[in-house]
Amino acid sequence: MRPSHILIVDNDPAAAMVTQHGLQRLFVSDAEVEIAASPLQAWARCQDTPVDLVVVDPSTENSPANALVKDLHAFYPEIPVVVLTAYDTPRLRSQMRSLGVRHYLAKPVELQDLGISARVALSEHLASAGNV
Amino acid sequence: MSNPAAPNKPSSGRVRVFLRRYARQRRARALEQRVAELQAQLAAARAHQTAGFSQRLDTLLAISSALLITHEVDAILQLVVHQALALFPGASNALLFLNDAAGQALELRAVSEGSLGQLRISAGQAVSGRAFLSPRAMLLVGPELEIALDELDAEQQAEYMRLIAPWPPLSALVAPLRIEGRRLGSLAIYAGTDAHLFLPRDLPFVQALADLAAVAIAETHERERAALLQSELQQTETRHAETQARLDATQAQLLQSAKLAAVGELSASVAHEINNPLYAARNSLFLLEQDLPSGTPQREFLDIAQAELARIAGIITRMRDFYRPSRAELEPTHINDVLRSTIELVQTYLRHEHVTVQANLSSYLPLIEAHPDQMRQVFLNLMLNACDAMPGGGTLSVTTRFVSSKDGHAGMIETRVIDTGHGIATEHLAHLFEPFYTTKPQGTGLGLAISAHIINQHGGCIAVDSAVGAGTTFTIVLPAQPPA
Repeated sequence: MRPSHILIVDNDPAAAMVTQHGLQRLFVSDAEVEIAASPLQAWARCQDTPVDLVVVDPSTENSPANALVKDLHAFYPEIPVVVLTAYDTPRLRSQMRSLGVRHYLAKPVELQDLGISARVALSEHLASAGNV
Repeated sequence: MSNPAAPNKPSSGRVRVFLRRYARQRRARALEQRVAELQAQLAAARAHQTAGFSQRLDTLLAISSALLITHEVDAILQLVVHQALALFPGASNALLFLNDAAGQALELRAVSEGSLGQLRISAGQAVSGRAFLSPRAMLLVGPELEIALDELDAEQQAEYMRLIAPWPPLSALVAPLRIEGRRLGSLAIYAGTDAHLFLPRDLPFVQALADLAAVAIAETHERERAALLQSELQQTETRHAETQARLDATQAQLLQSAKLAAVGELSASVAHEINNPLYAARNSLFLLEQDLPSGTPQREFLDIAQAELARIAGIITRMRDFYRPSRAELEPTHINDVLRSTIELVQTYLRHEHVTVQANLSSYLPLIEAHPDQMRQVFLNLMLNACDAMPGGGTLSVTTRFVSSKDGHAGMIETRVIDTGHGIATEHLAHLFEPFYTTKPQGTGLGLAISAHIINQHGGCIAVDSAVGAGTTFTIVLPAQPPA
């Protein structure tokens, strides 16, 4: 079984690096955790290679990362998304909910909790992929 | 004696002459005496007349000075009827009628003799009614007076007979109470025993008395009206002050919550900025901890660092939630109710600024989960802004409508606040919702920032559409509560 491909989109480099290392540490060889340099690059990755999970900080409403979540919802609804945001507001939460995001975490969440959400999202993805 | 009577003849002729002369002299003397008497009488009469004349003038002067210091209608009337008898000694009674409040009839208000009963007559009826319509004082004598008194009905006549003795009166002096063409009432003075008690030369006196009475009554009415107007003015001022105070209190409250929300806004944005580094630091320590063999002395400090970072995380969360309505404060709210109560609150203020409110609220709106006070604050802010944008008056329209959703969601409620004011320049539009951005000299720059913040906290959004000279429209969209 190939390792899951996890893509991280975060405009804060330190946060992105910690997320990558943390998830890599938690999943060990079960997953390949990669940082996308930008939302646009993440979008390109999703088109090139199979991506099993996107961990993204959509920050504000009109950010490119927010657009990425919308596009994923529209074109790759099968790719699960974990939102990990520093800009938690009820509005963002309700917007994400309406875009089909089921895993929503607000920074500064602990890595273990992020790991649990990521694992659940992956397993849902694998289950649905298995059904197809 | 040839003719004994002869010497008598001439003598008797002389006697006759003498007697004739004597009789003539006596007549002349009597006439002279009569003339003297008449002259004396004339002088006495002249003296009496002069004395009566100056006495009447004195009485009139006394009345006018008494009326000057009397400000109560009944007191004035009493004074007038009593002085009428002083002016015309020998009169049996003086009756004073005033037009009643409805202007339909004359009511007896004062008599100089006897007690005041209930007596009403119509304008033009009998003596006082005629006097009321007459332009000047009249003297009624004999048949003229009889005809006038015949117009009284039985009940009225009984009352007249009670007041005027002996009955029927033989003459009457009457005068209208008029001021600047306005009829107030009439004064009638009756003479009982002597039909010639009153003379035409009395007319100026009775008219003067009536005029004095009319001036005094009119002045009292004016005074009462002025007092009434004054009290009405005071009431209006009090009401105005109350409304102003209420508005001031509301604005103070708004400013207070604006300050509070500014702190909240600031802390929320600080919290957001801190979240990223805090996340990175906290979890870096976690990764470090994983690599550190158990039992190393450094672990103690690592634990301290982690615990302290967790504490910072707690503080940041509380800061972020500072101005966010807690779940418990949200309640099912009807947006129309909130709008109506807000309009009611500002109605007086808007009317004062010549702003007309048009509310076009949809009657088919679902409830929303909201904090009603915060919603009210948003609408109040928008309405007061709209009013500020229309310094010369205008129309403020408030509309609500339901926008159904395509993908099975609960739909949205759209509220618009539209003014016909001077509009917003394009360079300001982009910054409108930024905190501390203002174009008003007295503005805090917080109103719209807080409004946007509140709407965002309710999961909604606010937008503005405006052009200079074309008015401004604020649109608020809030998610409808999903049906339970």
